Amino acid sequence: MHPTDRKYTREHEWALDDGTTCTVGITAFAAEQLGDVTYVELPTAGKSVNAGDAVTTVESVKAASDVYSPIAGTISEVNQALEDRPELVNESPQGEGWFFKITGYNTDGLNALMDAAAYEQYLGELDA
Amino acid sequence: MLQTPLYDEHVSLGGKIVDFNGWALPVQFAGIVQEHNHTRSKASIFDCSHMAEFRIRGANAVRAYGDLVCSDLANLRIGRSKYGALLNESGGIIDDLISMKIADDDLFIVTNAGPREAVANIFSSAGSGVEDVTDSTAKIDIQGPLARDVLVQELPIAAELNYFEIRSAEWNGEAIFVSRTGYTGEMGFELFVPNSLAVPLWRALLAHGEVEPAALGARDTLRTEAGYLLSGQDFQETRTPLEARMERFVAWDTPFVGKDALVHQRDQGGYPRLAAIASPDRRAPRHDFELRRKGTPVGVVTSGTFGPSVGHGIGLAYLEEEYLTPGTKLEAGPRGLEVSVVDLPFYADGTCRN
Repeated sequence: MHPTDRKYTREHEWALDDGTTCTVGITAFAAEQLGDVTYVELPTAGKSVNAGDAVTTVESVKAASDVYSPIAGTISEVNQALEDRPELVNESPQGEGWFFKITGYNTDGLNALMDAAAYEQYLGELDA
Repeated sequence: MLQTPLYDEHVSLGGKIVDFNGWALPVQFAGIVQEHNHTRSKASIFDCSHMAEFRIRGANAVRAYGDLVCSDLANLRIGRSKYGALLNESGGIIDDLISMKIADDDLFIVTNAGPREAVANIFSSAGSGVEDVTDSTAKIDIQGPLARDVLVQELPIAAELNYFEIRSAEWNGEAIFVSRTGYTGEMGFELFVPNSLAVPLWRALLAHGEVEPAALGARDTLRTEAGYLLSGQDFQETRTPLEARMERFVAWDTPFVGKDALVHQRDQGGYPRLAAIASPDRRAPRHDFELRRKGTPVGVVTSGTFGPSVGHGIGLAYLEEEYLTPGTKLEAGPRGLEVSVVDLPFYADGTCRN
């Protein structure tokens, strides 16, 4: 359910590092919990953020939740497609439904996050 | 948690089960928006067996019951139903309800799961003719523009029913009630059946290609768009029917509990009233969001959601008179979401009266 090519936060974001850019979205688990996503507030590109900053909000029929930046850096790009098609977050939470990209980050910040196995274990503990 | 006779059906259909007023009920099957849209375009079935039902029999009990609730039942024709409320002495709403007239000396009453005990205690003062039939009664709602076309294939009498009418009928050899009422704004029926019929009837309705199961999540978005209040959330005993905009359901020339207080409030004026608010985009006001007018708190959102059929955020809240004018701009919640006061209902194209 949660791919092994990326890192995960306790707030259910994923971060996929390609060496220069880190793409951020919410996990399949988070998307499932939210239910039908109806609105994604996109952050402003160019803004610098710290790890743990509430960067944006995602709304579903049932609730509104904050999305936090997994690492410190600069927001280089946002997923404009979510403006017209917020349902992409449900259809493809770990692909087309990404939220924003970060550049100028330090990989130490990424190393501090959970890998897929640790995240799955964390979900198991939440369930218990 | 309590389970309805349809609990196993919900689990096998993949329903996501939640605790609703102590009942284990599904909040969604395929997804709230999909179930919502299916109800607006075709027909959905909902398990509402958690709701409370009472039977009031005998001329004395019927008269005594009529003196409790704010509806005029003496002038209600047999086979017709009336929306109303049970109030406390201060005029506060203990619960809203529908009174259905089976015969001059026989009423069937539908109330909500939350206040059931309080309501049952007060109803019992109407005498020995009052029976709480909740535990032996299952309730299945079929709602949507195709609801009648489907239901007549199971219950031909459905074709004869106008909006807010009820008939006794038989299905699988057992006595049931078929009522042309609902909570979605769409054409539809509420079916009151013995528990033993719940599963076979649910399956028989689901066997029709146009019918899909729907759950509490869609029920909530559908009723909010239609402007229907949720007992315990949009009103409690601290709100009166005047504040909740139920004035047209108050029979002022009949006796009812709480009448003196309500007459006083009516003559006094100047009370807060339920208002509808809408956001300009898909962001939604949420339950418990504070509402502000230029920074000053003016109310709290009682129900708030994205409205799938209207395409924007919608909500209900009590506001003082000066803020009730449609077009009044307010800020909602921690982020100051911009909302405007609008007219009810949010969604006016429902088929319930067709």
